[in-house]
Amino acid sequence: MAHRKKNRNVGIIGIGQTKYSSHREDVNQPEMIHEAVQLALDDAGLTMDDIDCIVHGNMELFEMIYQPDLWHVIGTGAYGKSEFRITTGGTVGITLACASDNLVASGMYDIVMAIGFEKLQEGHTTGGITNMADPLWFRHLQTGALTGSGAYDVINEFGEERAKKASMMYRIIMDKHASLNPNAHRSFGLEFEQMDDLIKNSPKLVGDLKLIEMCSQSDGACAVIFACEKKAKALSKKPVWIRDHVTVHREETFFIFGYDEKYPVTMTHSLAAKRLFERNNIKKPIDYFDVFEMYDPASWWAVDWLRDFFLLKGDEHLKLVENKDIMIGGKMPVNPSGGVIGSNPIGATALVRVAEAALQIRGDAGAHQIPTPVNHALASGFGGTMWTVLMMLEKELNW
Amino acid sequence: MAEYFGVKVEDIFNTMQERFRPEGAQGVDASFGYDITGEGKWKLSVKNGKMTIEKTDDLSGCCVVTVTDGETFVGVNVGKVDGMSAFTSGKLKAEGDLGALGKTAKMFRKFTQAKKEMSVRDYLLDMFGTVEKRFRPAAAEGVDAVFAFDLGGDYGGQWSVIIKDKTCKVIDKIDGKPTTKLEFIDAKDYVDFSLGKIDAQSLLGAARAAVVGDINLVMKWGEFFEKYVDPMAGDVKEQELLVLKKTISVNQRFATGPYMGRFLRALKDKKIIGTKCPKCGRIQLPAREICAECRVRSDEWVEVGPKGQVRYMDYAYYASPDPLTGETRETPYGSIHIRLDGCKGNETFTHFIRRDQIDRIERGWNEKSGTRVRPVWNENRTGSFKDILYFEIDE
Repeated sequence: MAHRKKNRNVGIIGIGQTKYSSHREDVNQPEMIHEAVQLALDDAGLTMDDIDCIVHGNMELFEMIYQPDLWHVIGTGAYGKSEFRITTGGTVGITLACASDNLVASGMYDIVMAIGFEKLQEGHTTGGITNMADPLWFRHLQTGALTGSGAYDVINEFGEERAKKASMMYRIIMDKHASLNPNAHRSFGLEFEQMDDLIKNSPKLVGDLKLIEMCSQSDGACAVIFACEKKAKALSKKPVWIRDHVTVHREETFFIFGYDEKYPVTMTHSLAAKRLFERNNIKKPIDYFDVFEMYDPASWWAVDWLRDFFLLKGDEHLKLVENKDIMIGGKMPVNPSGGVIGSNPIGATALVRVAEAALQIRGDAGAHQIPTPVNHALASGFGGTMWTVLMMLEKELNW
Repeated sequence: MAEYFGVKVEDIFNTMQERFRPEGAQGVDASFGYDITGEGKWKLSVKNGKMTIEKTDDLSGCCVVTVTDGETFVGVNVGKVDGMSAFTSGKLKAEGDLGALGKTAKMFRKFTQAKKEMSVRDYLLDMFGTVEKRFRPAAAEGVDAVFAFDLGGDYGGQWSVIIKDKTCKVIDKIDGKPTTKLEFIDAKDYVDFSLGKIDAQSLLGAARAAVVGDINLVMKWGEFFEKYVDPMAGDVKEQELLVLKKTISVNQRFATGPYMGRFLRALKDKKIIGTKCPKCGRIQLPAREICAECRVRSDEWVEVGPKGQVRYMDYAYYASPDPLTGETRETPYGSIHIRLDGCKGNETFTHFIRRDQIDRIERGWNEKSGTRVRPVWNENRTGSFKDILYFEIDE
């Protein structure tokens, strides 16, 4: 695949996040978005006059508003400015970041603000996602993003007891992380001692996917400001640099269930990871990265995907979870923010991964800041039946 | 029986009858069980827009039974516990048809806690008892005045509010000659006026109230004192926040195109046909004109099945809406991925399994074969997904 170096470097200089919640009936959509926009501008020390272009995204089917960017102008500040709108399913948030990076790197704009938002309480999430499937056949069958196939695969490969414990261990770790993040939507105060009880008692959604293992449906917005190297250095004491990003899409994928190893299927996560790490000459991603903000829609998938993203073999990914290496303070912290299981305002969710990875590099994550220095961070986005976006962030411009 | 958030479990059940909304129970003919740990069991039966509730140990025949503890049950009903969180963490369980449980929400008005009543006398004592606390000295600079209140009726009385040297004092009588005097025939009118339930113009116009003395001073009462807050108003916010409810329903028409059209047309003849990629050889079901992996046109048609083995089944407990009809699917149901005879590897075809056979389905994995199934055809076939009713075990 052809891939060229950027024309110029791009840094993140401002981050704003609302509190993620299922109770934002106190504000309408543009008002909620404005909270994140104002926080990002304050963080960067800028005003709306400094922003050259806005990239706005969410999923129209969730709230059933076509071109929401029109109504939202009063909250985004886009009046009279360049604006792009992006909607790519679960990946939309990180695609906003990729687009912003490209827009600045190209030289077309010096400062771009990405805004992702969702008010899932104003629509029907599972109904909306089910409309993703083609209306001629698969829409009859789909249950939104809910499937027990991830659980089935892990259970088949590693046995029921080990698999179920790994999934619930991951879930409890995310809950512990979320309890340290004041913006997180859900934090139940789960303890490791509850593992067996939760495995037994949390209601099932589909197959072995339990309600507690699935992400929340949140309201919230996230805004991130990107600037060219010159402006980033002039305006920010600690810009976070976007090193590279990769997107791998594929056809709508419903045939990957009932796996037969004699007929391997190309999986987008591992393909994206391979491409990104090869061209950046990263041999052992698990050693290179200091933190990973992963789009983890459910704990089963999360456990499974660690292997894909870090190019691991055998049960290395399960051990990362079982040994609590993915916890804050562990050797490969994953989602110190509490992740998508903790908060999922879908159009913002994947941008939150980038924002949280950048906060970790800046050292500004607050109570969920990991204790060791963060120089290299990875963020991922997931959407559709199998679409992947990965973004690498760096503290220093030295690669 | 214990109280949670000031409410007993029994209070919730005992008020169900008066909170029942027949319009929210249309077409519901079912019984719902409630098993509240340490409190007992209740059975709610709904039929023909009427309901009965009984405390009974026999919850047989209930389509769904809610199992939880008293604190969670009351908490959810009075809005102190998030129902979804309780459900997610397993504190509240539902055994049976989850979809049916959602119906109960529409059948009842929200439970509201019975409030302790305040009498007119209670209000008067509270209003005058808080005047000194509500006084704003800064606004009363240079004011030297006495407000007298002469409130009639059974619960009335006399009060004087004395403002002098930026201090305020209340006494329960009228002394000497006040600067201004407010007379209310019925003290209840004064209470209603203070609570904003009735306006001064109406009272003065109806001669139920009068002002004697300096009327301009009366107009300044609002500057001298903070507004009286009704202690019974609870935590109602100053501004009511409105939520607008909408339902979108649209008719849609989707063109199938020649490839999908041919596939659907074949279903009318009880045949399942797919397209085979000339490069990698994979068969796609339903048929697609392109092999996206190889980026070539798939022009070769092959008939497969109609029997095959289940490779994977999603056992769905979640009451998902069918986006094509808006109806909630009945749970549990199984959506299956079948490797039809003539297909290999991951070339699977998707449909539903007969609902009463869900628990008997074995799924395949690598070399392991799954349960053999066959389609059950719809007698009235139109060239659509519904030409196959479902698959059933081939036995």
